[in-house]
Amino acid sequence: MSFESDLLAILPRLRRFAASLSRDRADADDLCQAALEKALRARDQWQPGTRLDSWMYRIMRNLWIDEGRSRQRAARTFAPEEVGEHVGHAGDRDVEAHVMLSDVDRAMRSLPDEQREAIALVLVEGLSYKEAAEVLDIPMGTLTSRLVRGRGALIELLGEAA
Amino acid sequence: MTDIDETMLIALVDGELDEVSRRRIERAVAEDPALAARLDMHVRLRDRLADHYAPIEAEPVPAAMRALLQAEAKVVPLARPVAARRHAWMTGGAIAASLLLGLGIGHFSGGGGGGDGPVAVEQGTMVAQGELASALETQLASAQDSAPIRIGLSFRRKGGGWCRSFEGQAISGVACRQEQGWQVQQLVPGSGQETAYRQASSGDVRLMATVDALMDGSPLDAAQEKAAKARRWQ
Repeated sequence: MSFESDLLAILPRLRRFAASLSRDRADADDLCQAALEKALRARDQWQPGTRLDSWMYRIMRNLWIDEGRSRQRAARTFAPEEVGEHVGHAGDRDVEAHVMLSDVDRAMRSLPDEQREAIALVLVEGLSYKEAAEVLDIPMGTLTSRLVRGRGALIELLGEAA
Repeated sequence: MTDIDETMLIALVDGELDEVSRRRIERAVAEDPALAARLDMHVRLRDRLADHYAPIEAEPVPAAMRALLQAEAKVVPLARPVAARRHAWMTGGAIAASLLLGLGIGHFSGGGGGGDGPVAVEQGTMVAQGELASALETQLASAQDSAPIRIGLSFRRKGGGWCRSFEGQAISGVACRQEQGWQVQQLVPGSGQETAYRQASSGDVRLMATVDALMDGSPLDAAQEKAAKARRWQ
């Protein structure tokens, strides 16, 4: 198996992960494509014998965090008066995407980044706590507290409360 | 009343508990309807998220992503090392090369410095000269079908300036434009020194690591490369 065919094999999962992080499916595929290009350029940094999926999750997550920062900068630059009310919203496209989003999408998007990525890795991708903590480079205790808080918020938003 | 907290409850749902803890919680849940309801809520949440995103995994992969990986996969075979390896450098935007008229490298040769090799050592640094210097200065990746030295990626360097990767019979490498010329950052044996037992992409791996460490953003596409050349890489 070559590096490329290994990537191709896990690509469906990477797209799912991207979708659980991103605002909409177009952003998700942009993120996925950027992560693949980055991985191909940095392929010598991947150590054979270690998990390629974890490596890719990390690349993707770091790209997503970087993009989030620049999106927030842009939001501040273009709409200074509305900061706090509409941070992360960027005009027509956002409204359109909003209409298409399901409850789950909306609830995930409303989570703080640090909770969303933890939820995505463990609940959607099915990583163990240890694997997820390694991808995010945080202690296990930090991961579990984010999982507890993120779940609490999702349950409230989705009306899953018993 | 139990001492089961939320963290333990979700650890159970996430399959993170050892056998002893799991049994302890299951006993507590059996005796406490409120706790059972909370556990059920967490199970439903996890199921709902998993179900929601599952169809994405089942979708066919977009053609652009598949093409990216399949184009790369062609690098691996040992046949056609030069053409295939160059292809590996062409990801990230540089593929959009349009056809332009070729530049005859021979007209530009005649660089200074000592000796007539492609690289001179001047004041402790490697500087491209002769044919290599000309190729770095003037050759476009989109127009070099028969050129002896081929340009791979051109890109903006972190902190400013321009760099290009190149590949020739004897040597391949990465060079960055300095005031006085093209300073060679890395040299590896060129495509003419492939042996049948060496992986075709191993030269690339070293150069790509250097490119990745130096590069700010993405490689230049054909139009950007042409513009940078027109500004004499300043």
